[in-house]
Amino acid sequence: MSDFYEFDTLSLHAGQTVDKEFGARATPIYQTTSYVFPDTDTASSIFNLERGGHAYSRITNPTVGVLEQRIASLEGGSAAVCTASGMAATFCGITAILSQGDHIVASSQMYGGNISLMKNTLPRFGITTTFVDPTDIDGFSSAIQDNTKLIYGELIGNPGLDILDLEAIAKIGSEHNIAFMVDATFNTPYLCRPFDFGANITMHSVTKWMGGHGAAIGGVVVDGGNFDWGATDKYPTISEAYAPFQGINLWEEFGPSAFATRIRAEAMRDFGPSMSPMNAFLLLQGIETLSLRMDKHLSNTLKILDFLSNHQQVSWVSHPSLPSHSSHELAKKYLPKGAGSIVSFGVKGGREAGKAFIENVELASHLANVGDSKTLIIHPATTTHSRIDAEALVAAGITEDMIRLSVGLEDVKDLQSGFEAGFRAARKFAGG
Amino acid sequence: MGFSTKQIHAGVKPDPTTGAILTPIYQTTTYVQPSVDEYLSKGFSYSRSGNPTVRALENKLTELEGGADCATFGTGMSAVTATMLAFLSAGDHAIISDVAYGGTYRLCTKVLTRFGIEFTFANGANIDDVASSVRENTKLILTETPANPTMKCTDIAAVSEIAKKAGAVHAVDNTFLTPYFQRPFELGADLSVHSTTKYMDGHNATVGGAVISRTAELAEKVKFIQNSTGSIMSPMVAWLTLQGCKTLSVRMDQQSANAMAIAEFLEAHPKVEQVCYPGLKSFSQHELSSKQATGYGAMLWFEVKGGLAAGKKLMDSVELWSLAENLGSVESLITHPVTMTHADVEAEERARVGIIDGLVRLSVGLEDKEDLIEALENALNKV
Repeated sequence: MSDFYEFDTLSLHAGQTVDKEFGARATPIYQTTSYVFPDTDTASSIFNLERGGHAYSRITNPTVGVLEQRIASLEGGSAAVCTASGMAATFCGITAILSQGDHIVASSQMYGGNISLMKNTLPRFGITTTFVDPTDIDGFSSAIQDNTKLIYGELIGNPGLDILDLEAIAKIGSEHNIAFMVDATFNTPYLCRPFDFGANITMHSVTKWMGGHGAAIGGVVVDGGNFDWGATDKYPTISEAYAPFQGINLWEEFGPSAFATRIRAEAMRDFGPSMSPMNAFLLLQGIETLSLRMDKHLSNTLKILDFLSNHQQVSWVSHPSLPSHSSHELAKKYLPKGAGSIVSFGVKGGREAGKAFIENVELASHLANVGDSKTLIIHPATTTHSRIDAEALVAAGITEDMIRLSVGLEDVKDLQSGFEAGFRAARKFAGG
Repeated sequence: MGFSTKQIHAGVKPDPTTGAILTPIYQTTTYVQPSVDEYLSKGFSYSRSGNPTVRALENKLTELEGGADCATFGTGMSAVTATMLAFLSAGDHAIISDVAYGGTYRLCTKVLTRFGIEFTFANGANIDDVASSVRENTKLILTETPANPTMKCTDIAAVSEIAKKAGAVHAVDNTFLTPYFQRPFELGADLSVHSTTKYMDGHNATVGGAVISRTAELAEKVKFIQNSTGSIMSPMVAWLTLQGCKTLSVRMDQQSANAMAIAEFLEAHPKVEQVCYPGLKSFSQHELSSKQATGYGAMLWFEVKGGLAAGKKLMDSVELWSLAENLGSVESLITHPVTMTHADVEAEERARVGIIDGLVRLSVGLEDKEDLIEALENALNKV
């Protein structure tokens, strides 16, 4: 599939060649563990990475492969590897290039799971992280150490919604020969392609807007194909001999897709966080309507912002599309179509009012996901960000009264009536 | 090729593109044609008319039954419906086993009669009763053997002879025994009808049906109804059923062995009035069962002393056994046909054919037989 096609065409066709045997228009679900080899030579060459081909579905699967190519194409990357969840994608991306003694500089405004991974889990394996305010560009520079191997951030920070200045941070990465990885879940390739602004790796929780229907958990790491892994000796996992594969040098053999190949050869093979073919099929179905859904998510978000901004029980509303948001200018630059469909706001009356609102709001579902076609709502301080301490909570930009809203595709009138039910219940805590 | 080899390999081959050892799930509506002139050259146009995953299952079932072809359906009932619609028209007559699944009885008496089709429910245990039911317009005989839920058996070969003389098609509902234990075509039948929901799937995962035909000509008629009425099986269901079929023989062997042990336990239990299992010497048609099948299956029923009230008490208190409809799964199920599966059969008709109020039906699963027996014993003790 030619990368010269436009976005909507790619989201329908990229990565798929119509089934050769029967002409099936939809991608077949290869729900199989393994693949019959025509002969032993073919088998060994597939195992040795000398040729493409499928051996075992933990490592590659034809249905998952279509999704990988489709996402790589939409993102403008060289290759992609799908994983069983977004967290697995982050983990595989990091461990493909970092080892004991290495260091990450990461945004402090991220999904609680990302923060917990870097703060609590990776240190057990000798990988440490310095968290910096994503709006403080100098902070990124000054946090860099001799052993820093990765700069990591979410383009639209969760849940404060601060926008990462991709070009400025990519410049810092490039000056220090450090790879820059972006969690692009909240924007999707439809709103922003981080590689266009110098990022080197992206990851998505495709569970969210990419899949769009709350039906399947999944993740993806996309290789930007634009980083020189051999420029320094910082990345031996890619630029030095890889013993398990007869000392192959991935950087020499695979060039722009060396990073993705390392994930495939090591993480998928040894850690095994593979995506199931059924999930890949469901996610492919979701991506077919990605732009349509995103447009509607964005237009609904603007209407909801208008509603909330004019509601007397709302103490504050935050979204990068609002001129009052500190990232408003960055949003215009990086997200010209719209700054995503996550909105945060405070209900007058603090924690108790927030709780009453959440428990009584109708239509919006109270749950810990975002990016569903249905509107979702949650109280981050007690749920998604509950495993991080009070100090980090403040650094992550979370307040006790904050309600995070993932605006869905329902009719806005119905969402508003549902919200009014929550506001009625919260009224007694609002005072006055 | 032996049955166990067939149940694994028949109908499927590694995917030619990728080598995938399992048939892909072709979850697609349509198929891109190479050109107008080459329309259907790859065999498929639209998934109602045919789907490669569904076709793989149809091919496997064909080989397992030893037939010419197979059509699969959305449910077992749609397989029965297609059998009727393929061979019966207004003014025609069919003979149906007087004991059959309640849904089959309901279809005949409440639905198909509206279209001018006449039915006689004949006692399959008495071949003369079947023979004397034949009329000039008899076009189909549907035999369910062993019959749900009384386990009444019908001599397939004898009925096939009657059908042949009458110029009627003989369809056998082979759901209870599957081709592993009972081979209708070798006994002269024309069609083998299945609820694949039962032993073919075996895991309570899907609902589906199948009609396997002895000849291509018969198959063509069934396929025409399948495509015309569109009651098709989904690719996902076909795929799951393909997997289930691979362990059919081992499940049937083990579940039958469990059923035999349970039947013997019940027969010896002082609180049990009667037990009905074709494998028991006390079963009135034990000889026929042994003659026309190589196994007795995993369905049985019993009556607790004290009848309906005692039976209800047992079904409400028994552990491990799930009180549920369906049968044939790895999970053991306990069912009260009078209130559940056969509620739509009128009380007089039930009484006439021996579906007594206290009849407790067991579908014996794959659990350890000791656990199943202990659970029944505990429940019987409470009665």
